Amino acid sequence: MNRGPFIFLGVFVIVSLSWALTLVKPISEGGQLRPVGSGDARVPTVMTGGAALGRETYQELGCVVCHTQQVRFAAGNDIARGWGDRQTLPLDYIDQSPVFTGAFRIGPDLTNVGARRDDAAWHLLHFYNPQIASPGSNMPAYPQLFEKRPIVGEGSSRALDLPEGFAVQEGYEVVPTRKAEALAAYMLSLKIQYDIEEAPSPEKLSLK
Amino acid sequence: MRFICNLCSSLFPSLEGGGSQRERELGIDASTRFATLGTIKASVFWLLVASLLGLISSIKLHSPSYLAEFSCLSYGKVYPAFWNVLVYGWLFNAGLACVCWISARLAGRPIGNSYLLTIAGGAWNFAVIVGLVGILVGDQRPFRLLEFPSYAAPLLFVSFLGMGIWILLAFKARAYRSTFVSQWYVLAAVFSFVWIYMIAQVMIFLVPAQGVFQSVVASWFFGNLSGLVIAPLAFATLYYLIPKTLGQHIVGYRQSGIAFWTWLAASSCSGLAALVNGPFPAWVASVGVIASFALFLPVSIFGMQFVSSLLSSFSKIWDSLSARFVAYSVVAFLVASLLIVFGSLRGPQETLQFTQFENGLRFLFLAGFGGMAFMGGSYFILPRLLNKELPSSGLIDVQFWIQGLGIFVIAASLISAGSAHGALLNGSEVDTVQALASVQPYFFIATLGFVFFLSGSLMYAVSFFWMLLSSRSEKEKSAELLKSAPELEYTPS
Repeated sequence: MNRGPFIFLGVFVIVSLSWALTLVKPISEGGQLRPVGSGDARVPTVMTGGAALGRETYQELGCVVCHTQQVRFAAGNDIARGWGDRQTLPLDYIDQSPVFTGAFRIGPDLTNVGARRDDAAWHLLHFYNPQIASPGSNMPAYPQLFEKRPIVGEGSSRALDLPEGFAVQEGYEVVPTRKAEALAAYMLSLKIQYDIEEAPSPEKLSLK
Repeated sequence: MRFICNLCSSLFPSLEGGGSQRERELGIDASTRFATLGTIKASVFWLLVASLLGLISSIKLHSPSYLAEFSCLSYGKVYPAFWNVLVYGWLFNAGLACVCWISARLAGRPIGNSYLLTIAGGAWNFAVIVGLVGILVGDQRPFRLLEFPSYAAPLLFVSFLGMGIWILLAFKARAYRSTFVSQWYVLAAVFSFVWIYMIAQVMIFLVPAQGVFQSVVASWFFGNLSGLVIAPLAFATLYYLIPKTLGQHIVGYRQSGIAFWTWLAASSCSGLAALVNGPFPAWVASVGVIASFALFLPVSIFGMQFVSSLLSSFSKIWDSLSARFVAYSVVAFLVASLLIVFGSLRGPQETLQFTQFENGLRFLFLAGFGGMAFMGGSYFILPRLLNKELPSSGLIDVQFWIQGLGIFVIAASLISAGSAHGALLNGSEVDTVQALASVQPYFFIATLGFVFFLSGSLMYAVSFFWMLLSSRSEKEKSAELLKSAPELEYTPS
């Protein structure tokens, strides 16, 4: 142990073995997946342009700090909570880079949030002030995604329909910015509506 | 063997000069003084920033409207900023300052090229500033401790190479052919960081792996950053400080080799345990679980070595300011490691996955084990580097208790919050808002912990700058101020 090169070699071998075994091997075996089918039947579903911009906003705001995007079947109760119908698999994520699987659930999982909450207006209200849509939530408000401006003429058709108690002063309206709308579009796009045969789910288990 | 060592050391006459031991040490310290001091200054600054960001993120966890008007301080940005500053700002600077100084001392002669260390250290801190600003303006990337934007990462890597090369040169220039365990860990930390950071940057960002495999690489990196980089830096400091402050051999020193290799081997995969049940190849997560459990072997060896050494000189722990930080660090290491070992098993993970348990545990490991070891190291190094006495042992005493209490309260409250939250989140169908609301009290306690932690950091900064800026007394001007610490690291036990 008195020689630097010996320690270097030892550390090099250990880190390289770990790298080869736990990263290179699984990636070469299962990290070259291709989408199945094409057009509307493509698995996974292709994301639209607006949603792709919202994806960038999702990353910029650090949403991944509190929200995962992975549905577990073997443990937890993600499926009972209605967060998905089946275990998510690597194939579901092949179009996503960087991927937002996340490591903490301070808020709910968002893999299928577009299926649970299919109304963009709900999401916009929720971004503007989470207390409107889910009272008691610990989620911060994102007023910077909205513009408060005086109503001119009939007012904007995109203005938020703020409920009693959250309304801004008379003569003003709150209009979502492009980022807010893109983020809402991204939320709506988050739904897995195709099946993968290998993915475990409660139904498949009951058939066996 | 001793004959050969003596023969080798006789080849370097500078060691055999007429000066006293203390004068020789002064020469060694002088060769690294500017760079080491600069790195410690940076670590104090980043500790303050990290404590403040930690406090803000902790408050935001239970009171989301706090500071809501500043969009750059939303939880999604402050939280990664806190962790990155804690690790790359505080722990890396503090750890590298300790190990650079220790490397020079163990080399046994003045080390040149300190300009390399100064430039690389400056560049590192510039990169951390760039990375922090990048996160706050929204250029962050979604992987833990890899959040620094793409324009900060290369500078961070290159500047680490500079510091690593200096450490290698210091090792190469050593006057004693034999090595001490601290030097193994220093080398391991340097080699590992270069490797894992390069692999993570290439496989996630430059040539991105497909989909979920980016998360596999990120988990691997995260586990290795704390296990193969921060932990070895802290081990290097502990193995040096225990003999020096207690005048006590490391008990069972001969077992260090087994502990070293098994720790490296097991930690190199243990981060993957976080992937269980997710959309990842199941066997990869299983390798992580097994590796985490294998940590039990090195942890028990470390436990026997450190605890026996501390116990056999127990009465001296409270005589030395550094030694009590070392004692805290050892206890924090043992508790955190055992929680890692048992928390990674599939049973506990079913409850604890995705909760604040992981944050509390990681904070205990990084700040309690790493941070407290480096603080003890800095209280050992500063008087020798500056040839001044510590300004106020009372202040440092209070700082120790406040900082220690802060780390304990944060870790304990987040770990309990995690188990209570996990029982509702993973074990019931209670609404997520209600599940989180039920553990809100723990988050308030964590905030209290961060208040303690910040107060401790402020006291640390005060005693550091007090010492730095005070003028030397007559007594301090003589070189004989310090009793030389025992040379225990060279004698086989």
